[in-house]
Parts: sequence; C-alpha cells; structure tokens
Amino acid sequence: MQQRRVIDQVHTNRVLLNGQLATPKWWLPAVSVLGVIVLIGWVLIGFMINKGLGVTGLNRPVFWGVMIVTFVFWVGISHAGIMISAILRLTQAEWRRPVTRTAELLTVCSLLTALLFPAMQDGRVWRDYWLTPMDWARGVWPNPRSPLVWDPFAIGTYLSGAIMFLYVALLPDVGNLRDRTTGKMHMFYTVMALGWRGNPRQWKLQTIGGILLSALMLPIFVSVHSVVSWDFAITPGVEGWHSTIFAPYFVIGAVHSGVSAVVTVMAAMRWLWKWDEFIRPEHFDALARLLIVVATAWLGFTFLELVFALYGQEGQEVALRELQIFTWPWNAWFIVFMMCGYVIPVTMWLFKSVRNNIALMFWSSVLVNIGMWLERYFIVVGGLQRKTPFVYTWDYYRPSAIEWAIMGWSFAWVTFLLLLFSRFFPLVPLFEQKESQTFSGEIKIGRARVPAVMREQE
Amino acid sequence: MHHMASHAGANRLPAAARHADAGHGGHVAPPRPSPAEATTELVRATAAGRRFKLAALILTVLAVLGVVGIIARLAGGTGPADQKEWGYVAATMAFMLVAFGGAPLVAIAPTLAKANWNRPLTRVAALFSMAGVVTALLLIPLLAVLPPLVVDGARRRSVWFDGPTYSPHFWGMIALSGLALTGLGLFYANALPDFAAVRDHATGWRQRLGKRLANGFAGTDNQWRSLRMRIGMLGTLYFLLLVFTHFLISTDFAISLVPGWKDAIFPMYQSLTSLQAGIASTLIAMWAARRFGGLEKYIQRDQFWALGKLMFGMSLLWFYFFFSGFIVFWYGRSGPDTMVLDLLVRGPFIYAFIAAFVLSFFLPWWLLIWNKLRDSVWGPPLVAVLILTGNFLNEVRVYVTSWSVDPAHIHDRFLSPETVNTVGTHFPDIFDIFVIVGAPAAGVLLMLLASRAVPVVSIWEVKQWLLLSRPMKYMKGHVVLVAKPD
Amino acid sequence: MADKSVLGLFQEPDQAANAMDGLKSAGFELGTFDVLTGTPYPEGAFGEHVPQHRLFRFPAFGAIIGFTTAVLFTAATQLAYPVVSGGKPVFSLFAMLVIMYELTMLSAVVATVIGIIFESRLPNLRPGAYDPRITEGLIGVVVNTSAEKASGAESVLKRSGALEVKTA
Repeated sequence: MQQRRVIDQVHTNRVLLNGQLATPKWWLPAVSVLGVIVLIGWVLIGFMINKGLGVTGLNRPVFWGVMIVTFVFWVGISHAGIMISAILRLTQAEWRRPVTRTAELLTVCSLLTALLFPAMQDGRVWRDYWLTPMDWARGVWPNPRSPLVWDPFAIGTYLSGAIMFLYVALLPDVGNLRDRTTGKMHMFYTVMALGWRGNPRQWKLQTIGGILLSALMLPIFVSVHSVVSWDFAITPGVEGWHSTIFAPYFVIGAVHSGVSAVVTVMAAMRWLWKWDEFIRPEHFDALARLLIVVATAWLGFTFLELVFALYGQEGQEVALRELQIFTWPWNAWFIVFMMCGYVIPVTMWLFKSVRNNIALMFWSSVLVNIGMWLERYFIVVGGLQRKTPFVYTWDYYRPSAIEWAIMGWSFAWVTFLLLLFSRFFPLVPLFEQKESQTFSGEIKIGRARVPAVMREQE
Repeated sequence: MHHMASHAGANRLPAAARHADAGHGGHVAPPRPSPAEATTELVRATAAGRRFKLAALILTVLAVLGVVGIIARLAGGTGPADQKEWGYVAATMAFMLVAFGGAPLVAIAPTLAKANWNRPLTRVAALFSMAGVVTALLLIPLLAVLPPLVVDGARRRSVWFDGPTYSPHFWGMIALSGLALTGLGLFYANALPDFAAVRDHATGWRQRLGKRLANGFAGTDNQWRSLRMRIGMLGTLYFLLLVFTHFLISTDFAISLVPGWKDAIFPMYQSLTSLQAGIASTLIAMWAARRFGGLEKYIQRDQFWALGKLMFGMSLLWFYFFFSGFIVFWYGRSGPDTMVLDLLVRGPFIYAFIAAFVLSFFLPWWLLIWNKLRDSVWGPPLVAVLILTGNFLNEVRVYVTSWSVDPAHIHDRFLSPETVNTVGTHFPDIFDIFVIVGAPAAGVLLMLLASRAVPVVSIWEVKQWLLLSRPMKYMKGHVVLVAKPD
Repeated sequence: MADKSVLGLFQEPDQAANAMDGLKSAGFELGTFDVLTGTPYPEGAFGEHVPQHRLFRFPAFGAIIGFTTAVLFTAATQLAYPVVSGGKPVFSLFAMLVIMYELTMLSAVVATVIGIIFESRLPNLRPGAYDPRITEGLIGVVVNTSAEKASGAESVLKRSGALEVKTA
C-alpha cells in the first residue's frame, strides 16, 4: 500500500542531496579502493594490448571467451535503465520515482564499460578506427553487412541517447544544486543548469520531453541487444547460435538481469545514503513483481530456444546440448545457472514478506546476475568449443588470470563511475519526489482515507 | 465543473473551454454519470433493437454457411492427399485464435497493471472468449487431417520428440479447449457482479437468467475479495495458456508440416501478432458498441487513445519479430534457410506477405504516429481494420503454404528448390470462403447473443472508477484525484 | 522594453495564483510575468497561460537527417569496397536496415534533446530576478517590465501576500 507521507522540500533537499552538499564518510575510502582496482585493471588491459591476446586463454576454436561474455553481460545490465525509466514513465507508475535516475545512470555506466570490451580485445586495437568511413587512400571501408559493425552503432546510439536523457532529466536537480552551493561548485552547477528557473514552460517540456524521449528510447533499447544477439545468431557455423529467437531472447534476458541490477543498486543506495524515507519496501515489492513476469517470460524463451535447438535432431546440436546439460563440469554449472537465474529468486519473490525485505531482495538480485552471466557463458563458449563428433580439440577453454582480472575490473569500473557521479549529482530525482508530494492527496470513502494521486485532466 | 456539450459525441470541446494545445488536444472532463444512472443506462442498453436482430440474422446465415463449408470439406476427404484442401480452414482457425483469442488480454493485462483506462473495455474484451468456443470446434476437423506423428513407419520431426503418438492431436485439443474454458471462466468471473445488477434491475428472461448466473452475489466484502482473486488467477492462467496454445498450434499446424523449417521465434511471433490483433478486435468491437449501443458516455476517446498507443507499439514489435526471424535465415543461406524464405516469404503467397507487411506494420506505423489520428474515436478502429486484414493474409501465407506442402516429403531434411517450386498458390474455393466468413461470424454471433444477457460495459468497474476518482478544482486548474487503494 | 525584473516570493500556492490574477488585472501583458516553482504543479494551477511548443517537429527533422546519412554511409561503403561476403549481394538492403535504423533514431533523439533545451528557452543567459529558496518550497512570481511599471508590479505582489519582493 502506497502510504501518504508529507515531506517538505527543505527536508527532501537535505536528505537527498546529502551526497553532494557534503562528502559521506565512506565515499573517499570506497572510491580510493575502487580507483586502485580500476587502475590495476587498466594496466592489465594495456599489458594485454601490448603482448597480444596470447595472454588470455583464447585459442582455436574458442575465439570468444570471458571478455565477450562480460561484454554481453554489461549490455544486458544496461537495459534496465530505459526499461524502467521509459516504460514506467509512459504508464505513469508512481513507484518509478526513486528508481529512474539510478536506472538511467546504470545504463550509461554499463554501456561505457560494454563499449570498451570489443574495442580492447579485438587483437589489433590500433585499427579500431577502421570502423569509421575515412580510408580514402587505401579504399578499405567498414563492412555494414557485419553485425560487428552494427554493434558500435547500436550501442553508441543507446549510450548517446541515455546520456542525453540523463542530462535533460537532471536539469531541475542541477538547478537545485546551484541554489544550494557556493564557490566553484556553484559555478559548475550554474553552467550545467543552463539558467533553469522552473517556470511552467520548462516543467511542461520536462514532462512532454521525458515522454517523447522515452518513446524514442524504447525502440532503441529493443534494438541494441538484438544487434548484439545477431553477432551470434546470424552465423550458421556454430552449434547453438543459429536460432531465430536470439534477438528477443537476449532482450528479455537483458531486462531480467538489468532490473535485478537496479534492485541491487537501489538496496545499496538506501543503505549507503540512509534514504529509508524515499526508497521504501513498496518499491522493491513492485520491482519484484515486475521481475517475476520478466523472469518467467525469460524462462519461456529459454525453453523455446532449447526445444527448437533439438527440433532438427541434428547430431552436433544434440551433442552440444548433451554436453551443456549432462556432462561434467557443465552440468553442475547448468544447475547453478538455472537455480540462480530463475528457480531460487522467483520462488523467493512469490512471497510478499521476501519482496518487502530489502536484504533478501538484494541477495536474490545478485543471484540473478550470477545466473545470467553463466547463461551467456553457456551460449558463447559452449557452442564454440566444438566438442562434437569428428572435431578433435585437445583441451577446453580455460580463461586466464588476465581475463578474470579484466572481468573484475569491469565491475569495479562501473561501481567507480556510479560513485563518482553520486558525488556530484543526486541519485534520486528530487523534483520527482517533490512532484509526488504536490500531486498526492486523499479521498475519503466511507470511514477510510485512501491515498490518491492527482492526474491532470487531459 | 461539468462544462461539456450536451449532445451525443460529447468528446468534442465546447469552444470556450478549448485549450489551444499542440499536445493531444486537451479537453475537459466528460460527463460523469452517477452510479445509479450508470447501472440503469447500462442494463437498459442490453435491450435488442431492430438493428441487433438484423445483425444476428445475417451472422446466423453466415455461420450456417460456415458449417456447410466444413461439411463439404469433410466430404472431400481427410487423407494425406486432401491436406492441401484444408489450408484455408487451418488459416481461419489460426486467425480466430490470434485475433479473437488475444482480445481478452486487453481485459487482463492492463487490469493486472492497475490501469484505470481499460475499465469500460473489459467486458467487450472478455466477450471475445465466446468466440474461443468456435476456434476450439474448428480444430476438431483439422485434427483428423493432421498427419500422425509416425508416418510411413518413421517418426516425423515435431516438438514431441519421444512423446506418445497422439501428442499433437491430444495436447492441441486440450490447450485450445482449456483456453476456451478459461476464457469463459474469466468472462463469467468478470461479469458476476453485473449479472447481479441485471437480476436487480432488468425484467423478463434477462432477470431470470441474471438471477441464475449471479449465484447469490450480494456484494459482501468476502465476495469482492474472492472475485478479484479469481479474476487475477484466471487472467494469469489465460495469458499463460494463450502463449502455450500459440506454441502448440504454430508448431504442430505450421512448422512441423514443412520439412526443414526450424524457427524458434515463430511461436512468439504468432503470440505477438495475437496481442496486436486482439487489441485491434477489441477496438472494432468498442467502436461498434459505442456507435450502435449508444455508449458514448462510457466508451470515450481516452480508451481509443490508450489502445491506439498500445496497438502502435505492437505493430512495431510485429516488424521486430518478423525481422529477427528473417535476418537469421537471410544471413544463414544454408539449404534449409534459403528454403524457408523461398517458400514462406518469396514463395507462392508473396503478394499476401507484402500486403500483410503493409497492413500490419507499415500503414499502422505511419497512421498511428500521427497524433490527430491516434487521439480520436475513429482513427484507431480504422487502423484496426487494416491490421486484422493484414493479419488474416499473414495466416494465409503461413498456414495455406504449410498445408500445401506435399506430405510425401515429410521425412526430407529440407525441401529442395524443385519441390518448393511445385508448391503453387492455392486459391480458396467457395467452401473455403464459407468457412473464412462463417467461422468469425459464428464467433461474433455468440458474442452478440451474450451481450444481450449482460451489459457490454462493466457496470461494477465503472462504478468503482466513480468511487475512486474525484474531479476537482486545484487552485485555478482542474484535476482528477485518483485513489490508489493498493 | 523590459529592463527590470521583479520577483515576489510566496509561501502558499494560492497566494501566488492570486498574484498572477492581480498582475493580469493590473494590465501586465501575458508573457511578461511567470511563476517559478521548485516542483511541477498541475497545468493551469496558477491560471497561467498554457505554453505552446513545437517539440514534435524536432525528432521528425532529426530522423530525416539521420536516415539520409545512414543510407549514404551504408550504400557508399558497400559500393566502394565491393566484396561479396557470405554469398550476400554487394548492395544488401536488409543488411543496411540496422544501421539505417540506428542512425535515424540517434538523430531523432539528439534533435529531440536540442528541442527540449531550445523550447525550454535554455540556455537562459538573462535570467532576471531569482531566489534559491524557490527550490526549497517557496513560489516565485517574476515580472519582467520597464523601470516605471516596476513599482506597480511590486505593490501587486505585496498585496497578494508576498513574503519578500526582490528586484534585479
């Protein structure tokens, strides 16, 4: 039940800007530790570029490994932002209010990370510029028929759109920060606020612009992970890849892992910044219900993918699935994947007491992402291994320490970016919280006072 | 506060109150009936006028013709050699499942998402479950024609792998009849309080029927609670069953009849088409109920606008699902990949495909993107007609082609180009036309008959809206306060 | 010519709405006075003139530019380096569709954002009178007027119950 709380604007400012108007005690140590990990990661990436991909475990036939899996994973996480922000904005769901900015920010940070992966691990990194059509002298042009060329366009479009969406929605809060600060920070916010005043025209454009951008970003969000899925689906050569369902399957998986990541981040936010008044159990309840639907849809798609993989009864395809589900050690990981990705979290979320328990929601959402990372590993590495009749490779793919380190770096990098942002901009949109106060009321029905929301007459 | 036009078509703004707004043409609140008025007017609207009786007569004649068509087909034979003749029956069954089976979701999904705009629509959408009975009946003759799982001593390719030999027939029937029953259960659950209203406010046979069907509903707290739970559970079950039924029908009645057609997305493509066509059917039914039932006060522009937006999204997704499948085949270029495109896209029904592409995607996209059309009473239903036409042509493209493939090739790895070329464009004969027209007519007839027993707009949901909402003046403006009890 | 900006600060929204009415009756032109709030209010709540905008033209314009760019890029690169890959035609429309779509959407989004900023009349280089307490809950009514009429505006604002009146 959404209870009506009366919170004045001064209190909202003080609580939600506590990360910007003063540095939280934990912030500097956390950012420093993360910064060190990030730095080590960059050094290792530089080492890998310098020495070549031989320092990884990649080799014939597994040319795509942990790094591509992590790339797909981060693109997946990025899907939370627009899913939550755009769809909940379009449906005017009240419970979106504390969630939207974090979701959009997570999108931006995870996309920035995702984009780095193909750039850093394509072997000859200094030739990445060949993606741009500028090579008149030699006449070597990018191949727009390749999904690998589509990737930067799709991810770049989504990233640009997400950054701009984030900025536009930030304007009112940057105006607020301008009003609360002095000195250099005041100058910084003044420039960023572009002279925001808060007149009806600007507020109306915020609303309409938000809806229009949401409507534009939704098709982009669907296309991005579809394009990434087509990296795999269009090639007929690898078992388990050439399936028509990959595009929506990846998208729904991305929504599943992305929304779970938002739950993780929100729980952390509430704990770190003490935002109990603004991030409440009812938000987690609503998110969990959404996740049950999304997770079940994902399971349906997984089932379809498996059924049609076996449908043709082709030897290699059946052999791959037998490897993935019945052969050690893949069978153990398969169980972990299913348990973490669906069975345990969804079973937990069926109970209202779990949905309203923030610690349990945090851990169940972490489980989901463990499962979803494993799912991508199954898809990418499973098929490439060619452990099928008449194909003989001596060994299995074993990710090297560098690959695991780079994967760890990516998590540290995303967290680092999130924390860096949080020092300068509020993670919960203040104007949305204030708007909910202005637009809320009560209706007396009999003896009951029912909380109500004002809707403008269209 | 109630400053609006007094004539019918009350969605037009009186000049003085009109905002010159470049957005969606803001208008002031439409007239709000009192709960008592709503009950009386909506119960009264169940009376059958001359137009209704004429429509019922025409639909009955068409339905009878449909039966004649089926009998003629049965007389023609149900062996493997006759499979081709049943293509249009299969396409019609698929069309009904897609267009009529998807409509109750308009009643379910927004309600589960706690939307208020769909309250006047839920009954119209739930009524489509009556047509589910016809779809289930239409399956029976098709089951006789469907090749068994074991053909010429060998098991043919299907999703049933090592399942029992009766699997496609048995599970298909279970799914479709289960869907029909769940739909009817959902309709009944949703209509229960209105049967009570009919019991209390109508006369004659309606009053007696209402009393029987109301089953003693008195509106106690427990009864409302249990009603909401039933609607929620039946709604969820209907949705899951619908997706499952689409999976079974699309794989057993289309994919598995074409050797080499391996298409994981096709069941979801059909499910998505069902969402799109279901919204389209509901829009047309809403328009008819409003126009011929005198329900302008209850079914308003907001409802058309909301459904129009959803239909726009579904039309874009139609293309997305189609393209996701197409691009994988187009890039793959293996024997089976090329065969699928040659047979089902570039093949005998290429013109039906192009028409479906234009009617289901291209035109809805460019028409519904236009604010003026989307935010109107006439616009979305017009686009809905286009979508349903495109949808039918799409089912023809898939199902008639699949059923036209010579069953002698059922064990081939995939059809060779020569075999593909022999699959010609099979045009419908007179009995096919009887079925194509008669089956939907039978479905609509059942809906019309049901709409005389219970109001076409859900009285209890409209009254709940009147209870939970308060138009009010907020400083110098006007707003509606909407209660959020949960 | 507006060379003075007068700002009245109000505690209650009703007072601000009355101030807007008072300014209208005192003969100030629509468009010379406005209400400033730290949070959006329902449209028309202050009796203000509903803003007109042409935001919807921006994404359309952007989409056309993006679409044209994408068609040129994909067509030109395919024809400039005519390699048959995977048996696909050198000029493959279906393969071009994805990049065409992405660039169209990117331009539409960029144009929309420019449109939002532009239609919000930002960047606002001559902001006039303002008070940081507006983002703490006070409501500002600002009047841009000539120096002669400024005192008239001040008295309307004070009569309507302004906590404070500032001039810039």
